[in-house]
Amino acid sequence: MSIVELDGLEVRLADRTVLDGLSGTLRGKAIGLLGPNGAGKSTLINTLLGFHRASKGSARVFGLDSYNDRGQIRGRVGYMPENDSFIGNMSGVHFVRYMAELAGLPAGEALERAHEALFYVGLGEVRYRKINSYSLGMKQLIKLAQALAHGPRLLILDEPTNGLDPLARQRMIQLIKEIRKEGSVQLLISSHLLRDIDETCDEVLILKKGRIAALCNIEEERRSNRSFVELETVGATEQFAASIRGLGCDCASFPDGRMKLVVPDAVETRDLYMIAFEQAVQIRRMHQRRDSLEDIFLRAMDGERVPKTEVEGLAHVGL
Amino acid sequence: MSVYKHVYRAYTGKVTPDYARVLVLTRYAFAEAWASKISIVLFVAGLIPLLVTLFGIYLANNPMARMLIGGKGPDVLSIDAAFFLHALIAQSWVALILTSWIAPRLITFDLADNALPILLSHPISRFGYVFGKYIAMFGILSVITWIPMLLLFAYQGYSAAERWTGGHLQIAVGLFVGSLIWIAFLSIVGLAFSAWVKWRVVASGIIFAVVLVPAGIGAIVTGVLGTKWGFLLNIPFMMATLWQRLLGVPGDVVPGVYLSTLTIFFMLTLISAGCIAMLNARIRAREVVRG
Repeated sequence: MSIVELDGLEVRLADRTVLDGLSGTLRGKAIGLLGPNGAGKSTLINTLLGFHRASKGSARVFGLDSYNDRGQIRGRVGYMPENDSFIGNMSGVHFVRYMAELAGLPAGEALERAHEALFYVGLGEVRYRKINSYSLGMKQLIKLAQALAHGPRLLILDEPTNGLDPLARQRMIQLIKEIRKEGSVQLLISSHLLRDIDETCDEVLILKKGRIAALCNIEEERRSNRSFVELETVGATEQFAASIRGLGCDCASFPDGRMKLVVPDAVETRDLYMIAFEQAVQIRRMHQRRDSLEDIFLRAMDGERVPKTEVEGLAHVGL
Repeated sequence: MSVYKHVYRAYTGKVTPDYARVLVLTRYAFAEAWASKISIVLFVAGLIPLLVTLFGIYLANNPMARMLIGGKGPDVLSIDAAFFLHALIAQSWVALILTSWIAPRLITFDLADNALPILLSHPISRFGYVFGKYIAMFGILSVITWIPMLLLFAYQGYSAAERWTGGHLQIAVGLFVGSLIWIAFLSIVGLAFSAWVKWRVVASGIIFAVVLVPAGIGAIVTGVLGTKWGFLLNIPFMMATLWQRLLGVPGDVVPGVYLSTLTIFFMLTLISAGCIAMLNARIRAREVVRG
């Protein structure tokens, strides 16, 4: 079942079109929302939560209209906002319990779940301290705890690693992976950090200037894209390039013996060395890499929307 | 998601009905209001005028007590509509002081740390949020206004030697309705101005100023222009006039100045509508930056 369905969604704020005709269906277990600043990521999240009304088209979450059925949607969603958002003079457990009760849990259950959520995110030892006294990383974690406490079906995380040091970031990523693995919660993660999305998500929606620049399954993209090889050679000739092409590789030569290849799965590194040996070409450096989310993102930023079927064709841009 | 196992566990238990979410806000607002020792001190101090009134009723109805303090006759202290009007006016000032201290506590903590996006991402509407806080404020003010006033009325009915209650029911109705109007008005004003000021002390001062400063301006307008319409800015005057009519006390609050009840209601409604507009503009999960 799809989590989010967008049908020509347009959102105008202050006489400015922020989201412009978004259409698509998001089905992934963990969906990444990528885009540069001002692309409309947070506006899309706010629209899904019913904070903004669509000026055209519609957005549906779990099949419910994001504005008209916002009460029902919010009961099923846990939201971790991007910026600081808490009640500073409350203790951690008091705050999380309060949020869980607002989500519909009875008082006793809410208290129990608040303790559990705080231990789960790693704030068990500081749960009786006032939130004002928490560090930035702890404040991020308390936002995650309150989003989890009522057991949502969809967890929306807006820039979850914002302002975290490397260790805290790793901890946050690990938590997100664990939640995803558990399976009862689906995730929508907004970030401008490709690495965060790369590590946690299986589907990505890339926004650019309020439009969909790409919507794809990350795993499928990775599988469908061939590996790239960069070579630095001495003595390479046109014949060497032709021999490599003969293996089925796409090949581009540059001055100073540099070459870039797109290598099919059937071709092994050993084959390249064999040809080099036969033609007395020295390979001084070889760098191999698979197509990354960064490539997908950069392609999306270069052009307009990149449907799944076109992604393979665009792989040559990497050359 | 167990404390000991440290794993995530989905929630499968029962969920409270929608209307109960508003009461969650009310309950937490009550807790927040009484978390301050100053709230307790103000509340206890606010009971002093009621104790004085209670003592007055006791004196008026107890011949032995009157004799002990040197009273000459039964009319030395008359318990009538005017007596209760004075008590109501005293309690209305107590209510204003409590509002100026408590209302900012109910809202500014949420605004100071930008809690609204998280609060409103739960199944609670903006109206529900304000209504939950409003109920809390209204409830607190009720404890200091109409509830004790009606208890005093009942005590007077019980203490009076003759059948007193039946002939003075208008006083009870006036105390009840007059208090409700005042605390409903104060609650909305308190929440609206608290929503626009992040610093609690400043918000407290502003709530006082909203009631008193226009009265001063109104007095200047009245003095300079020689018109009675300056009194439309004088909230204490308008309320006193309204209470006087509700309780059936004869005469004018300020001799020669007459404002119709309809005019007073119109002004109170206008101010309340302005406060609702202020809340509507401020209580939002997201601000839309123009330009």
